[in-house]
Amino acid sequence: MSESAPRLAGLAASPDSALEVPGPVRLAREPHLSMWSVVERPATARSSPGGGRRIARLRTRTPEGTDNIVLVRRRARDASGGVWVEAVLPVLPNGTTGWIPRDALGGYRRVRTHLIVNLRLLTATLERGGRRVFRAPVGVGMQQWPTPRGRFYIRSKLVRYRSTFYGPLAFGTSARSAVLTDWPDGGFVGVHGTGRPDLIPGRISHGCIRMRNTDIVRLGRLMPVGTPVTIL
Amino acid sequence: MHEVSFERLDVDGAIAESAERAGVISRGAFLAGALGGSVAVLGLAGERAVAQGPGPNDVAILNYALILEYLQAAFYTEAQRMKALRGRAADAANVVGAVERAHVAAFRDLLGSKAISRPSFDFQGTTEDQNAFLKTAVAFEDLAVAAYKGQATRIKASSALAAALAIHSVEARHAAWMRYLFGVEPASHAFDQPRSKQQITRVVNSTNFITSSPSTEGSRTPRYTG
Amino acid sequence: MAPPGELVVPERNQRSDFLRRTMFVGGAALAGAAVAGAPRLTDAAQLSQPDLRALNLLLLVEYTEQAFYAEALRRKKLTGEALEYAQAVAEQEKEHLNLIKGVLGGRAAAKPQFDFGDKTASREAFAAAAGDLEDLAVAAYNGQGTNVTTDILAAAAKIVSVEARHAAWIRSIVDQPPAPEATDTPQSAGEVLAGLRQTGMRR
Repeated sequence: MSESAPRLAGLAASPDSALEVPGPVRLAREPHLSMWSVVERPATARSSPGGGRRIARLRTRTPEGTDNIVLVRRRARDASGGVWVEAVLPVLPNGTTGWIPRDALGGYRRVRTHLIVNLRLLTATLERGGRRVFRAPVGVGMQQWPTPRGRFYIRSKLVRYRSTFYGPLAFGTSARSAVLTDWPDGGFVGVHGTGRPDLIPGRISHGCIRMRNTDIVRLGRLMPVGTPVTIL
Repeated sequence: MHEVSFERLDVDGAIAESAERAGVISRGAFLAGALGGSVAVLGLAGERAVAQGPGPNDVAILNYALILEYLQAAFYTEAQRMKALRGRAADAANVVGAVERAHVAAFRDLLGSKAISRPSFDFQGTTEDQNAFLKTAVAFEDLAVAAYKGQATRIKASSALAAALAIHSVEARHAAWMRYLFGVEPASHAFDQPRSKQQITRVVNSTNFITSSPSTEGSRTPRYTG
Repeated sequence: MAPPGELVVPERNQRSDFLRRTMFVGGAALAGAAVAGAPRLTDAAQLSQPDLRALNLLLLVEYTEQAFYAEALRRKKLTGEALEYAQAVAEQEKEHLNLIKGVLGGRAAAKPQFDFGDKTASREAFAAAAGDLEDLAVAAYNGQGTNVTTDILAAAAKIVSVEARHAAWIRSIVDQPPAPEATDTPQSAGEVLAGLRQTGMRR
């Protein structure tokens, strides 16, 4: 229906067409913007909007006991007009995306931050609006337990627990170890502090990204949950 | 899962009503001062900023109005960002969104530290489709008109009443505009009806648009791969 | 897709249905029958002085609107959406006028004379004048809202939002901004009278 067509007296407004099914549309349309949503209802992610094969079952809570969230990329309709959202999924193989019914998700939340972990340079950099606001040296996975490369997101934040090993604060990401598949709670890669700052930078972990405690505390003030993470 | 911000307002209202009956609050209580810096935003002449704020009765009513304005502002803002609207509907979302955001700013300015904070929202796809958007916009704007109208006779201070009336008629323009775009008569009756806060609250809660903030922080010991 | 929860969305009708419905409601008002939604009000004996002054000002506004739309329809220069608008709104303004006259009873001011000049001579002139007149009505009601007692305020509130709808409606028809401002500034009685005279009221 053309909004700019002149309206004729005596005719009701034409109903808009549900017949055309346009292609997927990106959700985050501004530079440096990412969006995420809470998984409000258990849902099955599929390979295409409204169909295709089943990829994963999503729960509403994470193993850490927080709300499960997904990074959302695009929106599309199925043939009957239902809305589906393409999301980055916290499943193996790493980098998996799938389509979830819109009504399984909550409201859209926006972030303009981006964490970039460079496995060669052993650095973690946080950008906000494309500008660097944080950088720190990191410890990453040893050769036999590599930190996976790819595009992920921060899924949760843990604070006020007691652990020398993990330091004062830990972020959970959507990335999973491809090797430690039997690890408790699914083998998720975290970004956290450490009791061994002397080992940083280095290839020292089972996949997690470790940083010195002062750095992780600083990152904790700058990086909201939902931030996309690029590991390269 | 879905917190009801309105309930806090009801508590304040009950307290304020009894204070009003006791003759504690009068029109003079925040005359001339109430609008403060929002005068410029609201475009009302002749009032000057004063240290004192609105009385408790009016605070409750203003916060109720603020929640509705937060809701509308967030709805139009998200619709603009989703870019699912075309033509005159897109223009309307831009203009009306800017005005609702201005209303939010004015009420927050007016209420100062007493302003209720912005809730989280989930518009469940109604910002992502033109037809759903127009239907929801029509319903929202008609609701806002009825809500302001329902409170007009309960506001104590003249300046707060003047501000509420000045916004109430703008919401009615929005309602007519959205109805026109949607294809229904912009003014279907000679008289518009008020709705009580209870009625409005029930409808807003039924949409589940206002949600609790996501709970993404915990304090269990991490079990990441390390 | 239905809007969530209990949000009420009016049904889209054929425009002919809508006209028939509005005409019927208008007819009932003229016959003096109680109209659904019309405010119930105290009689003139119980009105305060500020109420009387305010109501008589608003009476002049409604007289002007009613006369303007009646003339526009008589001159038969309108077609299409503008005509539908004029027909629907004429009926609603009659209801407003009857209500206020009814409240004032014997205290009502006399109906003025009007000379609208060219304002109803063409679609463009009509639309501009109607928009301005409805804006003036909104400003008048908003201006008196803080002067009147509770019952009168309640009734006035039910009318002012309809005037605002009218203003946005006619502007939408001619592709003018229906709601360009964040607030509708109130006007004083003096300003309103000046505006009415500029429109065509002759006293």
